Amino acid sequence: MEMLLEALASLMTFESLITVLVGVSAGLLIGSLPGLTATMALAVLLPFTFSMPPLQGLIALGAVYMGSIYGGAFTAILINTPGTPSSIATTFDGYPMARQGRAFEALAGATIASVIGGLVGVAFLLLLAPPLARWAVAFGPAEMFWVAMLGLTLVASLSSGSLLKGLLGGCVGMLLSTVGVSPVGGETRFTFGFPPLQGGIELIVALIGLFVIPELLTMAAEGKGALPQGDEFGKGEMRISRVARRVLGKPVNLIRSCLIGQIIAIIPGAGGNVTSLVAYNEARRFSRDPDSFGKGNLDGVVASESSNNVMVAGSMIPLLTLGIPGAPPDAIILGVLLLHGLRPGLDLFTETGVLTNGFILSMGLAALMLLPVGLLGAKLIYRVVIKTPYYFMVPFIAMVTMLGTFALRNSLLDVGIMLVLGTVGYFLRLIGIQAAPIVLGLILGGIAEEGYVQTMLAAVVDPIPWLRLVSNPLSKVLAGLVVLGAGTALLPMWLERSGRLRKASSGEEEKP
Amino acid sequence: MILRLNTDIAAGGFGLAFAALLWLPRGEMGRLSIIFPRAILVLLTVVAVALIVKGLVRPGDRRIEITGSPRRLLVVAAGFFAWWVAIGQLGFLVSSLVAVFALVWYLARVAGPVSLVRLARWVPIILGLVVAFYLIFTQVLNVRLPTGLLI
Repeated sequence: MEMLLEALASLMTFESLITVLVGVSAGLLIGSLPGLTATMALAVLLPFTFSMPPLQGLIALGAVYMGSIYGGAFTAILINTPGTPSSIATTFDGYPMARQGRAFEALAGATIASVIGGLVGVAFLLLLAPPLARWAVAFGPAEMFWVAMLGLTLVASLSSGSLLKGLLGGCVGMLLSTVGVSPVGGETRFTFGFPPLQGGIELIVALIGLFVIPELLTMAAEGKGALPQGDEFGKGEMRISRVARRVLGKPVNLIRSCLIGQIIAIIPGAGGNVTSLVAYNEARRFSRDPDSFGKGNLDGVVASESSNNVMVAGSMIPLLTLGIPGAPPDAIILGVLLLHGLRPGLDLFTETGVLTNGFILSMGLAALMLLPVGLLGAKLIYRVVIKTPYYFMVPFIAMVTMLGTFALRNSLLDVGIMLVLGTVGYFLRLIGIQAAPIVLGLILGGIAEEGYVQTMLAAVVDPIPWLRLVSNPLSKVLAGLVVLGAGTALLPMWLERSGRLRKASSGEEEKP
Repeated sequence: MILRLNTDIAAGGFGLAFAALLWLPRGEMGRLSIIFPRAILVLLTVVAVALIVKGLVRPGDRRIEITGSPRRLLVVAAGFFAWWVAIGQLGFLVSSLVAVFALVWYLARVAGPVSLVRLARWVPIILGLVVAFYLIFTQVLNVRLPTGLLI
């Protein structure tokens, strides 16, 4: 409690408040650009945090994350183009509302839902993270191996259609994580006699390449920024208080969506796109008027936006306690934590508790900041975004990503690796291998390897060494969860293939 | 542009090629260093073969679509790589000014010819933004950007 108050005090400074305001605004701007995801928003703005003190850097990234997830709703509602993958489900009802001249109602509903979702996520994080962090110390190498495997079972939900291609992407990512010096043996691997590769492939370099470059190439090839001109903001808007009453008047929808968002957020690898789709489906299923969904029902927008904003703070639980990113943008936050010498786990809540709690509380502040920034700045930001020609956007985003990549390790080779991964990633996406499973493999590969090799080392005198992986109750439970996770991922596919489950509409597929 | 391609076989082929690339240098490594990559290499090979078999028996998508102009895609991708090489040779500031200006001009041509007046109007915008980023990184963030022959 003392740490919490200290953290709150450290947050109530002019610099922190300005950082949150600027972070939310920048996130909102980038998130509202179709194709630019929250991961990209964090990746692009990452270098600006290098010279900041650790807390201010984390506050900035948390605010950008919150703002970009919310910003995705703008274009989802106004022009039927999700700004971030998390807002796919927002388009289902948001766009019909905008076409009916109810753009303000949809945007205001999305804003209120996002604020509530963000605050609920922070509350969950404050309540659940410390006990989970204490529990995390029970995790030895074998348990960490199973945790990594549990994360990898989510390849199925990230692979958009083909499990085999998702697995292939995951394997490629895990192999990329082995380039450089081996964590246990200490030998140099897969450098092909090229010493600069000994440093391995930096996670953020791969993230920037795999997520940003394919989008830039797509924009260049299409020759447009995807946004048609015009003003669909709506003039005959209703009052914000009336929208708030409508949103809060259906608490069950809000609570259910927030709970769904939180549960899915804890599972490593599941992103906001998964949470918003599940929450939207459940809102429709439990509605008294399910037929009105997809035709402009505010409940659909509220379900999608509240759940994906719960995910922002919620996905930090596995990140801060186990070092497992709950969603791709969290990988960037993990990179920043490591950059400042902060290792996920119990220490984060004891030795650096003020910093960690300050970061968590700053996300709550960012959620509150969404209300004024979102409502007052929405129209202005929208106009700036819509009027920036794509031919300026592509080169300047490329320049910022090159700068950001170079600044990580002062390495021009990293820029080359980023470009190669991005270009290859574009063509892999064409043949159905998405970036998300590759990144998931890259993140979890190192954890899985360390856990596996250390367990094998400890079991060197055992008659059957690999049995050490399931020698204690916790690892048995985790192994069971891996089997369960794989089963629940495969079961819907099997049911769908055998015609027992109505095929999901193609529009509900995850956007990479 | 739509290309006829069995994506399962293409993905499987890529997996096998990637596995082969990493399979060859594995012999030089000790047991502790190779134990995990070897397991993943085997898994990758199995998945790649399964994809090829699936592609032959029950293929998924048999075509890929490159939305927009493939030529523009390749030119811009090549431009990015040329820009990267130029940063090392000429320095960040000069190469970025040239690259950004060239890319803006090339991409703007999609909507029609770009007049000299329009080009001249872009110069201060591009110059201002590139120099601003250069100064932010070198002076504020203390990042030593490559200088090359120029700056």
